[in-house]
Amino acid sequence: MRYPGKRDIITTLDGVNLKVREGEVLGLLGPNGAGKSTLIKILCTLILPTEGNAYVGGFDVVKEGQKARTCIGFITTDERSFYWRLSGRENLQFFAALHNLPRSIARARVEELLDVVRLKNRADEPFLNYSAGMKQRMAIARGLLNDPDVLFMDEPTRSLDPGAAMSLRDFIKEHIVEQRGKTVFISTHQLDETERLCDSVAILDKGQIKAHAIPAELKGQDLCRVQFMRCLHLLHRQEPC
Amino acid sequence: MFFEKTFWFIKRGYLLQMSYRFDFFLKMFFMLFNILTYYFIARMIGGAAAAYLEPYGGDYFSFVLISTAFSGYLMISLRSFSESVRDEQMMGTLEVMLVAPTATTSIIALSSLWSFIFASFRVLLYLLIGILLGVNMTAANVGGALIILILTIICFSSIGILSASFIMVFKRGNPINMLLMGTSELFGGVLFPIEVFPEWLQSISRILPITYSVNGMRHALLQGYSLEELAPDILTLAFFSIALLPFSLLIFKQAVRKVKADGGLVQY
Repeated sequence: MRYPGKRDIITTLDGVNLKVREGEVLGLLGPNGAGKSTLIKILCTLILPTEGNAYVGGFDVVKEGQKARTCIGFITTDERSFYWRLSGRENLQFFAALHNLPRSIARARVEELLDVVRLKNRADEPFLNYSAGMKQRMAIARGLLNDPDVLFMDEPTRSLDPGAAMSLRDFIKEHIVEQRGKTVFISTHQLDETERLCDSVAILDKGQIKAHAIPAELKGQDLCRVQFMRCLHLLHRQEPC
Repeated sequence: MFFEKTFWFIKRGYLLQMSYRFDFFLKMFFMLFNILTYYFIARMIGGAAAAYLEPYGGDYFSFVLISTAFSGYLMISLRSFSESVRDEQMMGTLEVMLVAPTATTSIIALSSLWSFIFASFRVLLYLLIGILLGVNMTAANVGGALIILILTIICFSSIGILSASFIMVFKRGNPINMLLMGTSELFGGVLFPIEVFPEWLQSISRILPITYSVNGMRHALLQGYSLEELAPDILTLAFFSIALLPFSLLIFKQAVRKVKADGGLVQY
């Protein structure tokens, strides 16, 4: 029954229980609408959970949101999350100030990251001139500005062609996982992405964790196999598992 | 870090504004039209409204120039906070800004800073053109005018933050903007002195902060009133500021909490 003025309540996440160790790369696999982005946004303090607790870097994301944000890096696929009429360098310097980096440290960090994402020679061009791949690399540079302990990536290769996606995966593997040893929380619906990048995979469907294990283990588990294969199959068709 | 952030918000505003140069020059050009319109209306009126204008120096052009220039701060306050929320939502930058460890209220306040600087530049041009067209400000009490200006900005900004809270939650339909934009121009003594109204309508004028702002500013800049003489306007604006600022910040925090709980932070 619908009451006027009252909205329907949709339960996006239900009983999610996950623990990610320091330095671990967790892949969050699930079809569209499974709750991956909502989970990431809760952990990034952008959405408040109605129940339960969530901690990032030991900080409660509801009660200690400001402290939790000091150790969070958020990489979104949304190209619009930059100021298109500002240059890449100006964008990074602006966001560095928001992360409370003093000017001298910010300047050095921005230069270092522009170098890491191989955009130094294009850094003074307006952001609107960048290709999709360059925009994604710029998003990664921004996510690393505060040298975060935990990095959240929401479908980082979503808008990229296969070549650019592979190149970005290599980049993440080499520069973020291997060289910097960050704890990474990566949401995706690309199986090869989780296999290539992740230490463990959690399958999320209809707001619930269906399985959580290392990729090889997950495939080997009889109980999970049917669920996993079904999910993979449906992922390609973009339907809920 | 506060100055570093302030610098970058101003720089961002300036760079974005300058990337739309045509819009900037159009605004400046049509501002000149406004001033000239008031100038010729004042010539037409001549001394006909002298009885009403006597407490303000007797000249309609000076009267209307000061009030339209400074009422711009009210318009900017009402629009800039809510528009900065909406603009950041539409540009897609709000989420990434809010993941940074900078307080949401600081982000919204600093996002509006460039609009206030631009409004101040506009006020300076108004005054400069006014002086060229014969407005006499030789007796101006600049210190008194600055105090009124600071209180005006605090007071109007508080109303603007309340307005941004509505936009945050309801996305569109802002009763505060609609109510204040409509009433302030009519009842605030912007285009004509409130003494023109019958007594019962003047009581509406007296509950609007803009009345004290433009009144005090005219007295400070045109007639060079001392701080003692400006005290009634200054104290009333201070009262509005003290009452409105904490209230608006509290409401804004509640609004942010509500949209975070609803998951509607980036919806517009």
